[in-house]
Amino acid sequence: MRPPPAHAFVSQLIALTLLLLIFSGSLGLGAVWVRQEISGSANRSHGIENKIAEVERRLDEVNAEVATALNPSELLRQNQVMMLGLSSPRELQIQRVNELPELRLAKKRNGGIFNLSTDRIGAENASGNNSYSFKIITASLH
Amino acid sequence: MSKGFANNRLTLLALGVIACFMGVGVRLVFLQVVDRESLLQFVDKARRQIVVEHARRGTILDIHGNLLATSRSELTLAVDPWMLVDYLAEEKNEARRSKKRLDQAAKRAEFAALLDIPTAELEKIFEPKMRPIALDKDRKDGTPDGLVKDRWVKLREGVDEPTFEKIQKLNVQGLTFERVYRRVYPSGGLASHVIGYLNKEGTPVAGAERHMDLYLKGQDGWIESEKDGARRELAQFRSREVPVRDGNDVVLTIDSVVQHIIEDELKTIAAKFNPHFATIIASDPQTGAILGMANYPSFDLNNFGKASPESLKNAALEYLIEPGSTFKIVAAGAALDQGLVTPATMFDCGITSINYRGRDLKLPKEDHPFEQLSVAEIVSHSSNRGAAQLAMLMGEEKYYEYVRKYGFGRRSDLALGVEERGILEPPKNWDSLTITRMPMGHAVAATPLQVHMAMSAVANSGTLLRPHIFKEIRDTEGNVIRSFDPEKREQVLKPSTAALLAQLLHGVVVDGTAKGFDIAGFDIAGKTGTAQKIIDGKYSNSRYVASFVGFFPASRPQVVLSVIVDDAQLPKGEMASGRNVSAPSFHHIAEQLIQYFEIKPVTPVSRNLLAMQGGAL
Repeated sequence: MRPPPAHAFVSQLIALTLLLLIFSGSLGLGAVWVRQEISGSANRSHGIENKIAEVERRLDEVNAEVATALNPSELLRQNQVMMLGLSSPRELQIQRVNELPELRLAKKRNGGIFNLSTDRIGAENASGNNSYSFKIITASLH
Repeated sequence: MSKGFANNRLTLLALGVIACFMGVGVRLVFLQVVDRESLLQFVDKARRQIVVEHARRGTILDIHGNLLATSRSELTLAVDPWMLVDYLAEEKNEARRSKKRLDQAAKRAEFAALLDIPTAELEKIFEPKMRPIALDKDRKDGTPDGLVKDRWVKLREGVDEPTFEKIQKLNVQGLTFERVYRRVYPSGGLASHVIGYLNKEGTPVAGAERHMDLYLKGQDGWIESEKDGARRELAQFRSREVPVRDGNDVVLTIDSVVQHIIEDELKTIAAKFNPHFATIIASDPQTGAILGMANYPSFDLNNFGKASPESLKNAALEYLIEPGSTFKIVAAGAALDQGLVTPATMFDCGITSINYRGRDLKLPKEDHPFEQLSVAEIVSHSSNRGAAQLAMLMGEEKYYEYVRKYGFGRRSDLALGVEERGILEPPKNWDSLTITRMPMGHAVAATPLQVHMAMSAVANSGTLLRPHIFKEIRDTEGNVIRSFDPEKREQVLKPSTAALLAQLLHGVVVDGTAKGFDIAGFDIAGKTGTAQKIIDGKYSNSRYVASFVGFFPASRPQVVLSVIVDDAQLPKGEMASGRNVSAPSFHHIAEQLIQYFEIKPVTPVSRNLLAMQGGAL
């Protein structure tokens, strides 16, 4: 058997070297691309982090301003500046409603619809008989 | 060309390529192995950085979630004048450079306007300067002349974010900044003694800020990464990261509206009576939760540096007073609780001395002459001699036991740090007159809060609770991580005794020392107190601690309220008594709280009832 010619070996070596170069070059470029992507992603997430921090900062700022505007002294001052004349009610001005306000309003409304005088409803309430009003409310709801 | 020559050339080329690779390989070995340590040190020094992320301090909220204390980011602006020099030096074209210079000058003029400083002053700051430095450290600019470029000139502290945003848009070269969190108190001086404050270094000094610092402060985080030539972080080279943990939020039991009502009343008291100090406390008797606690003098939390040392003290916890007649609830409650007397039991309050355990003891003076008084009348008319006789019925030991049970002589343990214990000697240290003087609130000293909590025990079916000011702790997501429940300290009186005593205390405003200060339909129960102040070791006849401590409605107490005014200045001839000074304020606050808490009347309010009670509403 004859040994292969020397130039064939050299050609193979060169071809393999070139292949190796292309392969390692591709690997290198791939690594660079991956790094770029990592860098891009890291920077993007860094940017988002900064934006979130900024939004939080603004939120704190706004919350502090809202709290300042809503504190009782400031509201009273505004009441004076805007001459609103708002004040808390006194006991004498308060009419306490012991029954459910919804029922009371329903009775009032339905009394008008069914031509029931408010006197009749009042008398009914005074006697403690709510069945008639209840029927009216139920009818109204139906 | 012969075949051999071509082969030789290819061989040479291959050898050359291999030699190059080997050269690169050898260099890599040197870089990565032989010189690795020294090179890494250099790179680390130049590129590695640890960025500390400061935790945001938690907020302090009132019971309804209103902000009482929060952290706001602010900026400290500084100037690096040499950065501007470098920026202009980068431009080689003279025309463009002078255009840039003019452009920057115009921006700086706008910048000066934003900061409200003269442009000339700002220009002076932007002038590049050198600063002296030790010769052995002068290696920064290559010439060891003991001078180095001054690259940091402080310009302004506390610049808010909106202003900074405008400044950033100007893109002024040479401007550097540092972002810091500063504590702000949106309500100014509201509940200042309760909230406390952080000093300039950010150290919590007093109040909830100090006591809850562990929860509020959070935990700083840090990031180990690399930086580029412009000192910007290269996020892709982050190697280690400890996330920042922001502080938790602390929710107080304080109600801003209640707090405002009582602080407003304190302002009125201060304007009217110019007292040494005054304290108003409002709490929920069923839970011991403090709804409002305010003192005069007070201070603005945002300007604590300007406050006087006196105004920084929480008088409700740090000042001691002799309780005066408000202390009579101890003797009356104890005697009723022991079953030694009933409200109708009569005592001779006209006598000036009494025989006690074989000794004749002089009884204290009365403000008004009394004869025979029932226990109910002793309470309503505040008889000193009557109270002394009630205490004597029990004896020193038993009476002392009740005094302790009411919470006197020991800290109330309100979790705000500084608190006085009060002064209460055990019976072995008493002189013979103490049993006659202590029931009227002398020979004992207590904080306003102790007096308040004693009355609160009567309002809470005889149970003394630990006062608390913290409702809960919330994490940054708003989840409750710790809540504070009512804590029972002592069963002072039987519930039936407490209810009975409450009715007797209602008598105080019906026909007693605070007659006319009832609120129609809401059955105020309370006790006036007028304690003589000790001046130069003697009881003064012109200076008093005036107090009114009570609750409402008497039959189902919902609010306990104390108004204590020390050394009120009244026109000559008028006595700074509990009735004259504190009861009107109590009445005024109670009226507002009834509306605010929507407390329903115990008895229906009619115009007739109002007329009978003098039209108080």
